[in-house]
Amino acid sequence: MESHESQTPRPMSLDIVGDTGNNQSGDPALSEVSSAQPPEVVFQEENIDLDGEAFITPQDDSSSDNMLDKLNDQMMESVMISDSPNNSEDDTGHMESLLEQFEDGEDSEPKESECAEEMEEKAMVSPKITVEAPPPALEDEAADEEQQVSAMEREVEYAKPPEDTPSPRSTELQEPFDANKVTPKEEAIPVCTIFSQGNQQRAPGQALAPDGFQPALVKSPSFSSGVEASSRLAPLVCQPSPSLSKFFTDNGHVNPASDFFDSFTTSSSFISVSNPNAESMLPAGVAESQPSPTAVSPPAPHTTPQKPTTPSLLTAPPAPESLAQPGSAGTTLQPAFSQLQAVFSGSDDPFATALNMSEADRRYDAWLPSEETRKVLISVATQQHSPVFVERDRLSMPGLRFDNLQGDAVKDLMLRFLGEQASLKRQVFTASSVEQSFAGLQQLISTKNWRAAVDLTGRLLTAHGQGYGKSGQPTTHTADSLQLWFVRLALLTKLGLFQNAELEFEAFGNLDQPDLYYEYYPTAYPGRRGSVVPFSMRVLHADLPQYLGKPQESLDRLHSMKTVCQRILDNLEQGTAEDGSMISVTQENRQASIQLWRSQMYNSIVQHEPERKAQLLSGIGRIFLQIGDIKTAEKYFQEVEKACQAKGDGQNPDTYVLMNRAFVHLSQNSYSEAHVSFSEVLKIDPKNPVANNNAAVCLLYLGRLKESLGQLEGLVQRDPTLYLHESVLFNLTTMYELESSRSTQKKQALLEAVACREGDSFNAQCLKLVSS
Amino acid sequence: MDVNQAKQEHLLALKVMRLTKPTLFTNMPVTCEDRDLPGDLFSRLMKEDPSTVKGAESLMLGEMLTLPQNFGNIFLGETFSSYISVHNDSAQVVKDILVKADLQTSSQRLNLSASNSAVAELKPECCIDDVIHHEVKEIGTHILVCAVSYTTQSGEKLYFRKFFKFQVLKPLDVKTKFYNAETDEVFLEAQIQNITTSPMFMEKVSLEPSLMYNVTELNTVTAGDSGESTFGKMSYLQPMDTRQYLYCLKPKPEFAEKAGVIKGVTVIGKLDIVWKTNLGERGRLQTSQLQRMAPGYGDVRLSLELIPDTVNLEEPFDITCKITNCSERTMDLVLEMCNTSSIHWCGVSGRQLGKLSPSSSLYLPLKLLSSVQGLQSISGLRLTDTFLKRTYEYDDIAQVCVVCPFNGPDS
Repeated sequence: MESHESQTPRPMSLDIVGDTGNNQSGDPALSEVSSAQPPEVVFQEENIDLDGEAFITPQDDSSSDNMLDKLNDQMMESVMISDSPNNSEDDTGHMESLLEQFEDGEDSEPKESECAEEMEEKAMVSPKITVEAPPPALEDEAADEEQQVSAMEREVEYAKPPEDTPSPRSTELQEPFDANKVTPKEEAIPVCTIFSQGNQQRAPGQALAPDGFQPALVKSPSFSSGVEASSRLAPLVCQPSPSLSKFFTDNGHVNPASDFFDSFTTSSSFISVSNPNAESMLPAGVAESQPSPTAVSPPAPHTTPQKPTTPSLLTAPPAPESLAQPGSAGTTLQPAFSQLQAVFSGSDDPFATALNMSEADRRYDAWLPSEETRKVLISVATQQHSPVFVERDRLSMPGLRFDNLQGDAVKDLMLRFLGEQASLKRQVFTASSVEQSFAGLQQLISTKNWRAAVDLTGRLLTAHGQGYGKSGQPTTHTADSLQLWFVRLALLTKLGLFQNAELEFEAFGNLDQPDLYYEYYPTAYPGRRGSVVPFSMRVLHADLPQYLGKPQESLDRLHSMKTVCQRILDNLEQGTAEDGSMISVTQENRQASIQLWRSQMYNSIVQHEPERKAQLLSGIGRIFLQIGDIKTAEKYFQEVEKACQAKGDGQNPDTYVLMNRAFVHLSQNSYSEAHVSFSEVLKIDPKNPVANNNAAVCLLYLGRLKESLGQLEGLVQRDPTLYLHESVLFNLTTMYELESSRSTQKKQALLEAVACREGDSFNAQCLKLVSS
Repeated sequence: MDVNQAKQEHLLALKVMRLTKPTLFTNMPVTCEDRDLPGDLFSRLMKEDPSTVKGAESLMLGEMLTLPQNFGNIFLGETFSSYISVHNDSAQVVKDILVKADLQTSSQRLNLSASNSAVAELKPECCIDDVIHHEVKEIGTHILVCAVSYTTQSGEKLYFRKFFKFQVLKPLDVKTKFYNAETDEVFLEAQIQNITTSPMFMEKVSLEPSLMYNVTELNTVTAGDSGESTFGKMSYLQPMDTRQYLYCLKPKPEFAEKAGVIKGVTVIGKLDIVWKTNLGERGRLQTSQLQRMAPGYGDVRLSLELIPDTVNLEEPFDITCKITNCSERTMDLVLEMCNTSSIHWCGVSGRQLGKLSPSSSLYLPLKLLSSVQGLQSISGLRLTDTFLKRTYEYDDIAQVCVVCPFNGPDS
């Protein structure tokens, strides 16, 4: 059929009329054509019967030219359309201004409602958190710790006023150094230095301000450490653990290698890689060009690039490996490795041990650098004696980008609503109140004091020379410093401080700079290859943009990660390099990340982890529900049911099925059926917090506010560990607001309950205390 | 401005909350491997968190429902739901409470209360609850007017009202375009743009044709038994994204016979759009009647019934024309055929076609050849109505591809 185009191409904009039963299809007001612009809506005042008490004057809403403007104008932020419509306009933004508002007339008189008392009672049960004073001799304590991670020891020094003598340890250890040049501090604050001792001794400005962000306090060790060490100790072996070690305490004695997370020699003298960044006294050129020289320390103190004292062992292995490393070369690599192992096996040589231990490391560290990065790494490996010059912009030069996080929102609220007295009861750990170490950090994390934990990572990183204002300066990474970065960025993400996380991630680029690979530090990590950046940090890096409204970027990053993982897998399947542990890690982490961006990847995960099939399929289904695609969601839910049936009738599967049904009912607006389903879940699993909460929410939609409120309140009081959760509390406070004019007191009771249970990472906004 | 004082005096408090769908709580999973610094801390914390899905803690989208966090936006076609609670803040029993909820729009005032009967009494700390629903049918300012009247114990009659204003926005932008095929089919292309700020799942976009037409939706590709949407698996529309839907409309046979006389503005039908957002929040809109200006054919319409797509160079081929009298009078037609640089007509030019009455047509086989290779346009037909001495010119009627049979790849 030949289409002689006698077309009439006129794009026209239509007016949309609400589909109405009573059919007003041709409403004249609406039908005037306004091409792509929202029709001008002018509210007619006379239509409203506004009398004396009418305090809203409808504004003239003649539409702005821009639709988006319009959207913004009309956005109402607060759910509660507040008492007076006038207020309702002002309610917006109270959350944000939460911290600024300190006076409030009506709240100054603390009224204890019965409810508040109950809450308090319950609050008593909860363990009090006590703040321990930082122990003076941390190394003892640290030695006690069995945990693997905490086994990375660290040294804590106290900043001393200048007149103080150097700490006993350092004196015992080494010839006096100028630790006294420390910047004067008002109070003795524990300060962590994450260098091994050698570095520290030398560093004149080790001591840090309590805020930990004074620039350039940490000085690099450079060569003199070598001198000292060599003067006292037997054979020098290049020490791979540049990490936080307290080696000097048992100076020169055998350190149990097992204590060290990433050390692999048992030899005595430990010299670690210094951070060039910290070495501010060095001429810039030297600092920049120096990946290798500092670490290996032969007796001669000030000769520049050093020859390793154990040359054959040290220099030889890294080179072939690095060469073998690139992608296709996986094949050559394996033999090379086993050869080396064969050579060294059975010998006492520490280096042999090193190689064996690095097997495990290798699995986890495996990563394929980009072509360019690989070249740099090869040249580092081959030119050990004349350090490779790498352009600055090819290096990651991270530094802290913002100062301490403001403290504890819960406490601030208490101060404001419950008075000073009450707020003193609120005691949480702060960065200063724990050990300035990894153990302290873990303590902060596990007690949910993430803000304090972030502060602590800041201090530790400052000690490593990557502190505030240090970004853009060349620096040296160690496995530990990158772990610190990972923890810091992960916590920022958990706290929802995405911009901050992004800002600090910036310096790392796409995590592919040469200095993020072990090969870049052949002397510090002889024979170790792969990525210093932990895999989890890569996942985090990929995840982050989606929280900032850039899901596409997240997807890109995930896909490129996936590509690398796939290549590693391929290599493995050909029987070459990286082994199976990578598979599970990869898949599992992907799971966390894909979320919004859909189901195909989820499906592949389902294949990998059959035992979680029900959860994952339900998850996919919920994603579809959330975007409104109920049909597709139901398909997935049906698969869940099938999967559950296939499994037999355990308890858990039933709850999944019921839960999913409830969600479907919910999306079809049948709240009462949804409520029934949630209640059925509760019959099977009466303590299920999700079902409890959701059932209460359904009740509200059914117009049964009091019941709903009663249920939630009861839950929170009976079982605070489960129900003092952001989402539940938010629901509860919302209902309080809806229920009566006296919501503030009730919220304050919740605040007290929260205060004795939750750490500083608690999202106090869910209490909605300010907007009330 | 004495509002607040007035409020204090009242024994009852009125609270209103818009009930959009609840949302699923999302947590912020951050995972790490056991050998990383935090060890199992992260995963332990996630396991303890009641909002995570047990067994799949790293799923971001949990199962915990949370109430709406703000008023949000409301769009034309959606349903406005609101919780209205009247709470007795006082210590005394209040009698004869009547709660009335009206919605004032720019054009009308609707009563939304479920019941209009008064509640006999309300004890202290008790409340009257109502959930109202209203499908929004107008753009612009809406005002929810809640009026509460009651009697105190002392017999005093009290009354207060509150106003809650909100704006109803337009969710979609719809543009249409018509294409008239040479046959009597009409193709409708509709561009639907999501001008809200959240993704939309397009549950249904259909064209309800007017009486004269049958419609075929061209938005699926049939593969095997099941049709697959041309939009792929993803059935949702991101903010500011636009989708094009295509429909083919055929006049029903009873109208098709008179196809020659479909003229002027005709009503095609209207689009019916149903979408869903968060957890099935539903919206539905219809466009106004789409109107199409039928193409003008003048007095005489010449269309092609048959033409080959490829012909050999310098080899005569046949075409069949259909000539329809679209005017109101009988015509007496003479056909002239003018050669162009490439098209050469065979046969006699200036032949009489005879009389043609209104709305009737005749079929005319013609022979021609092309002397130039390539895509050639067929032009040069002239019809002259001898009654009115009026000449109609037909150029660029169609194209044929002219190939050389000797060099052609096939021959």
